[in-house]
Amino acid sequence: MTPVITTRDICRYFGDDEDILVKAVDHVSIDIEPGEFTAVIGPSGSGKTTLLHLIGGLDNPTSGIVELSGTNIAQMSAAELSDFRRDHIGFIFQAYNLIPVLSAEENIEYIMLLQGIDAATRKQRVHNMLAQVGLDGLGRRRPNKLSGGQQQRVAIARAMASRPDIILADEPTANLDSRTGIALLDVMRELNEEHKMTFVFSTHDEKIMSRATRLIHMHDGEIEKDERK
Amino acid sequence: MLLLKLAIRNIFRQRRRSLLTALSMSGGYVLCAISFSVSEGSYNNAIRFFTLDHTGHVQIHKGNYLRRPKLHKTIDDPAALSETLDNNDNIEHHTLRVFAPALAYSDTDNTQVNVIGVDPTREKRTSRLAKKVTSGNYISDKVNPDSYYSAMIGTGIATSLNISIGDELILISQGADGSVANDIYIVGAIVGNKDSLDKSSVFLPLDAAQEFLSMQGKIHEVAILLKDESKSREFAASLQKQLPELSIDPWQIVEETFYMTMQADQQGMQAMLFIIIFIVFIGVLNTILMSVLERTREFGVLKAIGTRPKTIVSLITLETALLSMMSFFVGLVFAIPIIAWFAFVGIELPEPVDFGGVQLRFFTGEISTYVFATPLAWIMFFALLVCIPAGIRAGRILPTQAMGSH
Ligand SMILES: Nc1ncnc2c1ncn2[C@@H]1O[C@H](COP(=O)(O)OP(=O)(O)OP(=O)(O)O)[C@@H](O)[C@H]1O
Ligand SMILES: [Mg+2]
Repeated sequence: MTPVITTRDICRYFGDDEDILVKAVDHVSIDIEPGEFTAVIGPSGSGKTTLLHLIGGLDNPTSGIVELSGTNIAQMSAAELSDFRRDHIGFIFQAYNLIPVLSAEENIEYIMLLQGIDAATRKQRVHNMLAQVGLDGLGRRRPNKLSGGQQQRVAIARAMASRPDIILADEPTANLDSRTGIALLDVMRELNEEHKMTFVFSTHDEKIMSRATRLIHMHDGEIEKDERK
Repeated sequence: MLLLKLAIRNIFRQRRRSLLTALSMSGGYVLCAISFSVSEGSYNNAIRFFTLDHTGHVQIHKGNYLRRPKLHKTIDDPAALSETLDNNDNIEHHTLRVFAPALAYSDTDNTQVNVIGVDPTREKRTSRLAKKVTSGNYISDKVNPDSYYSAMIGTGIATSLNISIGDELILISQGADGSVANDIYIVGAIVGNKDSLDKSSVFLPLDAAQEFLSMQGKIHEVAILLKDESKSREFAASLQKQLPELSIDPWQIVEETFYMTMQADQQGMQAMLFIIIFIVFIGVLNTILMSVLERTREFGVLKAIGTRPKTIVSLITLETALLSMMSFFVGLVFAIPIIAWFAFVGIELPEPVDFGGVQLRFFTGEISTYVFATPLAWIMFFALLVCIPAGIRAGRILPTQAMGSH
């Protein structure tokens, strides 16, 4: 199988001065296979967020190649990359980041609208996703009327509904209490198993990492250990 | 649709701020619309005042008579011209005139006067001369039983010659043929008041004036009243083609000083209002930039999940345009009654203000598309203008900023 993501020797350095050069990601080569449920772990400042940015096409590597489903994202224009993210990558953020003026349903619908998916399909998928993340009946609520865990469930639904190749989540549970966090991870895990959806998420939380099928340990921008269970 | 929904909800999200911004735009709009209305209205009033008073909408002369009036620059076949004009559908009325400076004598005094010969019937229809008679009877082209023509004189002449209705008035001038012109007339009416433009005019029936000046059958000026006053330039131009041997000028040329002063004044006012709107929009710009800055993370998220930068710029533009439209409608609610009041009631000044020789006494409003649409156009223009820096700023927001934890 072709990997969903391949990084070849990617580096991301910040600051151009030799003295203050930060090697946030340093010579990282990984393949993420379809259906994997991968956790990127490591101490603060080890480069987890930066790595997720790079494989999500949100940031460009200083050197090296990122391939998403066989496409080299470095060769895309900003607009192409934007469309590529819309169609192939789902994002879940630490701070939920729902669109505050849209209801839960409308948030889930948003990317599908950008994709130009017809109304009937959108409705269907919104309905299914709300049920799958356990938010039946809460679709009309605006984000500020939902708890953190509920908001993050909406975020998962939003990321899933557009049928991306991979979902990237940067510390999706960091703002949640540990019980809610674990419940949320279980939702992600179910979706992963049910739909063969590929997930890459970063975390500090031991209980959360234990649910991953693969653990990528980072330290000072380098991969220290890469273990599959 | 999606953008519209987002834009409307974003506007209502910051209710107080949107309201303040909209009110400042509305205020600018109301100020502009009222200023336009009053300036248009007052000037149109003034224009109507003197075009109907004596200028007419279009005038015909021979050669450069308008600029350098000379007795010999005459229109030689006024009868034929009159017939042409009578048959023109655009013309309401027209009148024929001759002019000459003269010396006027009473038994005791003398003074300089302007003799104006007018066709009594046509003049009455074309200008307000008949209405300006303050005492006595309007002139007629008939002589009295003693074979004297009657004359109407301005108040200035009545005072300096110390004469009144029924008294004799002796005029001395030079005829077109170089002969000495002199004749006796009976004062039949007093015209105007002490501030009137006619205070040193002597009005004679056209025949009498032509006879006095030895220019039988010839005239100096035709004043035309159009059915549609706004068409004076176009009409003058088309009539000029038809009558190439004569000079046809619209009132804008005839009353050039007034017209220029008016234009300059209106431009000055527009420039000032433009600056006011500009200042209003510096505030608007600030608000919009602030709202973009506040939503940095939100825009970052929108970008990260695949919204094109162009779409985000459109969203900001749409929000601003909607807010401007709302301001416009709020502005209308205030502007319409005020402008209507100016249009139907208006302000009468205790002292008239002089503008390019024309006395403006009434401040009245005008209701027209121009009055309402121009400030709207300005507001939309500035609204779109302030979207540029806001859009650039939003365009620069990186999607990575969506992930920052706060
Ligand atoms: N935009 C940036 N400019 C400069 N340095 C940066 C930038 N982004 C990240 N860094 C640096 O790169 C290194 C890796 O940062 P990164 O955010 O990827 O770490 P992380 O593993 O996600 O940490 P945390 O667990 O605290 O979220 C850090 O030293 C950080 O200071
Ligand atoms: Mg991080």
